[in-house]
Amino acid sequence: MSKAMLNIKDLHATVDGKEILKGLSFEVKAGEVHAIMGPNGSGKSTLAHVLAGREGYVATAGEVEFDGKDLLTLEPEVRACEGVFLGFQYPVEIPGVSNLTLLKAAINARRKYRGGSEIEASDFLAWIRDRAKIVKIDPKMLSRGVNEGFSGGEKKRNEILQMLILEPRLMILDETDSGLDIDALKIVADGINTLRSPERATVLVTHYQRLLDYVQPDFVHVLARGRIVKSGGPELAQELEQKGYGWLEAA
Amino acid sequence: MKLQPYSEAFERFAATLSDSERSTRGRQLQRFLTLGFPSKREEDWRYTDLSPLADKTFGLANEFGARADLKTIDGTERLVFVDGRFDPTHSSAAQFHGELPTIETPAADGLLALNAAFAASGLNLQLAANEHLDAPLHVLFLGSGDAAATMSHQRHRIVLGAGASATVILEFARDSGGERLATHTLDIELGANAQLRLHRLQFERAGANLLTRIDARLARDARLKALCLDAGGGFTRHDFNVSLDGAGADAEVHGLYAPQPRAHVDNHTRIVHAAPHGRSREHFRGIVGERTRAVFSGKVVVQPGAQKTDSEQRIANLLLSKHAEVNAKPDLEIYADDVKCAHGATVGQLDDSALAYLRSRGIDAATAKSLLLRAFAIEILDHVGYAPLRRHIEDILNFPDDPELDALIEAVS
Repeated sequence: MSKAMLNIKDLHATVDGKEILKGLSFEVKAGEVHAIMGPNGSGKSTLAHVLAGREGYVATAGEVEFDGKDLLTLEPEVRACEGVFLGFQYPVEIPGVSNLTLLKAAINARRKYRGGSEIEASDFLAWIRDRAKIVKIDPKMLSRGVNEGFSGGEKKRNEILQMLILEPRLMILDETDSGLDIDALKIVADGINTLRSPERATVLVTHYQRLLDYVQPDFVHVLARGRIVKSGGPELAQELEQKGYGWLEAA
Repeated sequence: MKLQPYSEAFERFAATLSDSERSTRGRQLQRFLTLGFPSKREEDWRYTDLSPLADKTFGLANEFGARADLKTIDGTERLVFVDGRFDPTHSSAAQFHGELPTIETPAADGLLALNAAFAASGLNLQLAANEHLDAPLHVLFLGSGDAAATMSHQRHRIVLGAGASATVILEFARDSGGERLATHTLDIELGANAQLRLHRLQFERAGANLLTRIDARLARDARLKALCLDAGGGFTRHDFNVSLDGAGADAEVHGLYAPQPRAHVDNHTRIVHAAPHGRSREHFRGIVGERTRAVFSGKVVVQPGAQKTDSEQRIANLLLSKHAEVNAKPDLEIYADDVKCAHGATVGQLDDSALAYLRSRGIDAATAKSLLLRAFAIEILDHVGYAPLRRHIEDILNFPDDPELDALIEAVS
């Protein structure tokens, strides 16, 4: 049996002193796609932010191992260099810092972390152009500030573009599908499927079953009140779509 | 006696002067002794306390100190002053150095009186009608590294005839010598349709006390584009007064202050619209960190009859520490009814969510912070039109430009 890439054991976490995650456990093996579903306020986004190391999201008990390393003790940038990627629910606009600046700095940070040299300009450009095609983003847009003046759909596609460029091993997507029309949703799904491989794992945090029609999960976990209350295969997502979350709340 | 070191310094200085000079300047010194340094009780000096200067002894620099590490800007002509004295060896544009006539009329305040009493020669740029200064003129004010506390006072003038144009860079950069006091006054007169691009750059070290005052008068359709940059570690106060005297005159005064820890930077600007159809733009940004104090006061006056004035003032500050202080004051006085005047002032902190976003992509906290600071500053630096000057500034600010990235941006655009 292969060892888990991500192993979460009895994770408790607070935001602003309020406990949101109350003893959450699951494990993700390389090659797997896990969907985390659940009603608003169940702790889905908190889980994503705790894993990425966002300030203010404090793990108070439990363990998270990534490739055998204690993930919770690492700085967010180190987690990223180790191969963890968080696709934001609300990508941040950063006027004055161009997308290319961010991408180049991010690529070189990873290379430096692994003891490598900086990327050549021509390789960088070719790589960006290649990846931009997958998410149908005009490379011209990348000379603009990060997400500056991007529409909601463009911001989400830009998250996927960053992911395609950085090629993480663990992709955590926090409601990347929310607010997307069907064309944009397909593009986002294509991006995720492009990276799907036996060496990589994916955690899809989503409110809707719709994304899962395009990215087939291996496991579905239902989160409610800070705990996983039910786990199952892809059929669980169908069940949730039909029944809603009400029956779980009552359970 | 109060201010005694100043009268003693003047006595030694006066011994070198002609009788008439001695008495004219002596009257200005008396005026300074009577008025003293401006006091914190005056509204314009509330946040900048000059009283410690009154008790200090600054000698006039005696020896001419040489300065080896001259940092030049490509494509510019140069005037170099060391400890307030003209350095002909390192100056390529000596024709623009000159003595100005001593001021006879009693100075308006103590500081101007002090400057008038001791004033040494400085920049004297006069262009005839339609004359164009080909190369930007880089005027450097340097220190010799002399360990003694010394002072220098200089007067400067820029007069552009109708249709004339010039680019001038005033750079104040000190070495690590003793404490310094320097006052500078600059009078600018722009004739009809003349154009001046002026850059005042301040990279003083701790121990410097720099007080500058610029008075600019713009005739009809004249254009002034000024950039004020303060990134030093000293105690500085700048007064920048612009009067749009002629119809259609246009003034842009932009600034960035990013002082070193424990520095004090005070910018007081005053833009007076005295004629119709004038336009003014003022955009200042501040990055204020550990134990640093920044003051900005921006006065805009629209006089009766200055109809169709179009004025905009924006002030934005980033506070990086609990031990940082910013006093930003927009101050509008409008006496005409058909005008457009906008203003806004903000004080904020570095955007935590942007910082977190960059870190989540693998960029370390220090690099992420410097990317965000650069992004904040860039809007002001974009006003620097002369590329070698832009590089010079980014170098000193430690905002290394990335020509490779620029080429990439070019390639995708």
